[in-house]
Amino acid sequence: MDYVIEMLNITKEFPGVIANDDVTLQLRRGEIHALLGENGAGKSTLMSVLFGLYQQEKGIIKKDGVEVKINNPNDANDLGIGMVHQHFKLVHNFTVLQNIILGAETTKNGFLKMDEAREKVVELSNLYGLMVDPDSIIEDITVGMQQRAEILKMLYRDNEILIFDEPTAVLTPQEIEEFMKIMKDLAEEGKSIVFITHKLNEIMEAADRCTVLRKGKYVGTVEVASTTKEDLSEMMVGRKINFSVEKAETKPGEPVFEVRDLVVASSHSTKNAVNNVSFRVRKGEIVCIAGIDGNGQSELVYGLTGLSPIRGGKIFIKGKEITHMKVRERNQTGMSHIPEDRHKDGLILDYSLSENLMLKKYFTPEFQSNGFIKFDVATEYANMLIEKFDIRSGQGPRTKARSMSGGNQQKAIVAREIDFDPDILIAVQPTRGLDVGSIEYIHKQLVAQRDEGKAVLLISLELDEVMEVSDRILVIYEGELVADLVPENTTVQELGLYMAGSKRTEVAV
Amino acid sequence: MKRLQKFFMGHSIQRLSKMPGGSMKRLQHFFMSTGFNHASASVFSIIVGLLFGLIILFISNPSQALEGFGIILKGGFSTGAKGTGQVLYFATPLILTGLSVGFAFKTGLFNIGAAGQFIMGGTTAVYIGVLWTSIPAPFHWMVALLGATIMGGLWGLIPGLLKAYMNVHEVISTIMMNYIGMYTANFLVKSYIYDSQMALSKNVAPTAVLPKGGLDYVFYNQMGNSKDLSTVNAGIIIALVMAIIIFIIINKTTFGYELKACGFNKNASKYAGINEKRSIVLSMVIAGALAGLGGGLLYLSGGSGRRIRVVDVLAMEGFNGIPVALLGLSNPIGIVFSAIFISYITVGGNYLQTLNFVPEIIEIIIACIIYFSALSMFFRTLLPRFIKFIKHKKFPEGENIEEGQTQEEGGEL
Amino acid sequence: MNVLFLIVQQTMFFSIPLLIVALGGLFSERGGVTNIALDGMMIMGAFTSIFFINQMQATMSGQSLLLIAILIAVGTGAIFSLLHAYASINMKSDQIISGTAINMLAPAFAIYVARMIQDNGIQQISFNNTFRISSVPILGDIPVIGGLFFRNAYITTYIGFAILIVSVIVLYKTKFGLRLRACGEHPHAADSVGINVYKMRYAGVIISGALAGLGGLVFVVPTSTNFNATVSGYGFLALAVMIFGQWKPLRVLFAALFFGLMKTIAAASSVIPILATLPIPSDVYKMTPFIATLIVLAFSSKDSQAPRAVAIPYDKGSR
Repeated sequence: MDYVIEMLNITKEFPGVIANDDVTLQLRRGEIHALLGENGAGKSTLMSVLFGLYQQEKGIIKKDGVEVKINNPNDANDLGIGMVHQHFKLVHNFTVLQNIILGAETTKNGFLKMDEAREKVVELSNLYGLMVDPDSIIEDITVGMQQRAEILKMLYRDNEILIFDEPTAVLTPQEIEEFMKIMKDLAEEGKSIVFITHKLNEIMEAADRCTVLRKGKYVGTVEVASTTKEDLSEMMVGRKINFSVEKAETKPGEPVFEVRDLVVASSHSTKNAVNNVSFRVRKGEIVCIAGIDGNGQSELVYGLTGLSPIRGGKIFIKGKEITHMKVRERNQTGMSHIPEDRHKDGLILDYSLSENLMLKKYFTPEFQSNGFIKFDVATEYANMLIEKFDIRSGQGPRTKARSMSGGNQQKAIVAREIDFDPDILIAVQPTRGLDVGSIEYIHKQLVAQRDEGKAVLLISLELDEVMEVSDRILVIYEGELVADLVPENTTVQELGLYMAGSKRTEVAV
Repeated sequence: MKRLQKFFMGHSIQRLSKMPGGSMKRLQHFFMSTGFNHASASVFSIIVGLLFGLIILFISNPSQALEGFGIILKGGFSTGAKGTGQVLYFATPLILTGLSVGFAFKTGLFNIGAAGQFIMGGTTAVYIGVLWTSIPAPFHWMVALLGATIMGGLWGLIPGLLKAYMNVHEVISTIMMNYIGMYTANFLVKSYIYDSQMALSKNVAPTAVLPKGGLDYVFYNQMGNSKDLSTVNAGIIIALVMAIIIFIIINKTTFGYELKACGFNKNASKYAGINEKRSIVLSMVIAGALAGLGGGLLYLSGGSGRRIRVVDVLAMEGFNGIPVALLGLSNPIGIVFSAIFISYITVGGNYLQTLNFVPEIIEIIIACIIYFSALSMFFRTLLPRFIKFIKHKKFPEGENIEEGQTQEEGGEL
Repeated sequence: MNVLFLIVQQTMFFSIPLLIVALGGLFSERGGVTNIALDGMMIMGAFTSIFFINQMQATMSGQSLLLIAILIAVGTGAIFSLLHAYASINMKSDQIISGTAINMLAPAFAIYVARMIQDNGIQQISFNNTFRISSVPILGDIPVIGGLFFRNAYITTYIGFAILIVSVIVLYKTKFGLRLRACGEHPHAADSVGINVYKMRYAGVIISGALAGLGGLVFVVPTSTNFNATVSGYGFLALAVMIFGQWKPLRVLFAALFFGLMKTIAAASSVIPILATLPIPSDVYKMTPFIATLIVLAFSSKDSQAPRAVAIPYDKGSR
């Protein structure tokens, strides 16, 4: 077998965690090899070892059958290995060209010589169909173009072995198709490709072989042609999982949450991030706003919850106008918010679990008197929620939030927001970065809320989640609602078209 | 230094892991507890800082170095009860400036401006003490202290507002306020309350002097038939009371909860509906008020105590609040102890002049202590992780609660 | 007319040190390390170089003495900055705290050594100023401009401008500059293309130390005849100049000139006809640069263009 790269029995540890435990990956020349695993399985770590960002504690790496040591990205580059990371490593205020040549600059006596570089970039760009403007500034261009810049970075360095870490996380279904084509073209040109993903569809479509990792351990390598999605997911998770969410028929009541002509400004362009958006969420209904990251969802939620000022429009809860209310007032009027970023907005990591659980209640008469906090009430409350929602932590209510796992941190936030007994629950990407067990749990909770007659507004990027959990789907594109769909009557492909702006219909409020 | 401590801790852990269940867990939790790590890091910084001082003493004057070091270590005790009293007297302003800096730290703010707040407070107190003689005792000194506190609060208000509403970094704005305060204080003293023969502020009226509060019966040295009194007075009691009040505010009140939340995570605080701008401003005002009060307490101690020197030099008591707060880990109780410590070695340092050493050595030692405590902060986060790592190696099947630490929101590993 | 010449010349004395130190701070921050210890580094640089002059002025004088003193100041600042570099980069400690420690250490150290070494334990180090150039040959005779820029000058002024030009070129036209800026904006990106972020940041801090040390000497020489372990808060003013200049060298120049002018007006108030008649006490004049700084910062901090990764210790392991 002609292996261009072999990673044999790799073990990589960090303080407190074994990220890779005796993992083996063998890459054939010219193949597209998928690296599959859940969040936390060790996929990114393994590839970071290959790329020289980390050094393994045990195990060896071979290139073309010869053992090599990769101590830093320069070594990896010398061996022809390049990597496009999930969070792009581009300097926001440099040009595309500057980013491409950074670290491999052509110089004369220390002075930068950009002309040759520019020529080569344009040449590569044409050869592989990766069109970019070399002098555009990174923070001004689209995500798709940024990704092309990252790919050009690798090609500029004549990398033969290309690693892609979750490349499709930020693309529309159409852009994903384009990307798949680019990958196949590159493989045909003789490049050997590893792409990290947890999306089974993509593996089935594009990969030749797939290696599966679970919780840091190597599970196995299969030929994609002779396997199924179900087999792969079972290897990934360790048990058969139910892809569908159990959901009873819904009988939505009257509207509980109404948004009219909402306009929210954008922080980095003169165009509005949210432009005259109107919709309603009814009692006992889960409405999902679907769209590609960056089309105004974050700004929409910040405007609805009061975290950002809005430029226009009105918001109502049960007929009462809350447009000008402060965040706290909105909470008191029946709005709960599970935020997009649990570390940034949802929790104070240095506070204990019980301090976090009372984050929105500490000032109420129940929890304080004359400005002094009633700590015993807080602890009791925390214990109640821990029990009810099965929140796991090292020391119960006293645990520092920072030391809890991602899944349990999210459960704590969900517990807190649901216990508020809100009229409208706004949940933004509530299952991001979580393991399958936690995802299942949170979906159950959302459906339970809806069954109890609450209104739920879900914002999500995961198409599966969108299709399975929601009763109604609104698609957002460039700050406007372009579709109002029912999951039963649509397909992922159609959703993709709306999300990409290729199709639109009038949205009836 | 760090390797030494790591080595020491590692052995302890290995010994501990051979002990049966419950007590080991508790001990392990103790070693892992942030409190222990931080305290031991502070102690280490102090030891290393002092050692550096010793080295410098050696280089300057080898023959007398050990004796000089001994003087520093004996601190205030070398002059008996009076000396001890002096230690407390000088610790008083340090407790307050330490509280000032520490309180601001808790809210995530760097109050480098304690020096300016301090001197403005002190000047206000002396001004009231000298000129508002129509107020009878005991109200005179109370009003003077109140004035000091308010002026200090004002001096903190400006950087607070600038930060909250104009995003001006408080480090630079408070430093500017230090200089503005220094020049303003000098100007005010020279204009209204100047004793030009001594280049100092005038003595305050007797009604404005802080009462001794019974401490004159404790801190004195008997010299023949008369008592050589220490200048310590009720100020130290006021300082201790303030420490307790601040402790209660930070840990027991909703206000303290909000301030800490803002200091830890201002996004989440906003999400929780906490008014971040209000928290920043209030925190700086309180910090300023504390430092201002410190100035008042120092300069209202009557004829034998300190008077304001009119020089273009920033108040050292203000800057020394920083190491006090750092060593005390911004905890009011810790601050009291570290203030007493710093005062202790400062008083000791003054006696060095008998040996031809220069008292500035103390400032060098203090600066070293700050430097090493900055270094050891890295160590503070490393040690608990190291211990968890050892734990994981010994008990790989144990509950893996560490995921939260190494995962960012993308959950990549 | 003479008053105008005087003002411009004095402004140079105050602006050039600000410019040099602010540029130093700029290099450190562009690399990602906040350096508030510029004041302390100025003091150390001034201390060693002026002490050198004090010791050598019996046998040497004039520009050659000054040039060697410059080298000493630069070297001292660079070495002293290693303390901050080590704490911030290797130990990932809080950069404000380690900076504060250095700011406290420098004057204490300077006073201590001065008093231990000098006779009678005097704190001030005095020196004779043999460096003033009353008129640069040829250039000093140009009408108007000669009087403004080429009389009553020091070579340090011209060195300062040279440093500015070199800074612009290095920062924007060289490989080093590109990499340094990358480390300050997105160190992980730099690391992923094989740049040693630690080394680059060290370079930034050492440059800031060297320039701050030089700035200390440049500040003291034209403005007094002794060094008293202080630079009157110039290191902090330089930080403000850097922020006001939004971390761009040319803007830093204008900011430095602005502040230098303010300080000149304050110091020379008795000579300027209009101001001499106003009953403003000297303390108020001394305050004006700091008040001006506050006002300027109030308006320029809203949309700060600080390097994105500044003051955040770089940790390879964090993602």
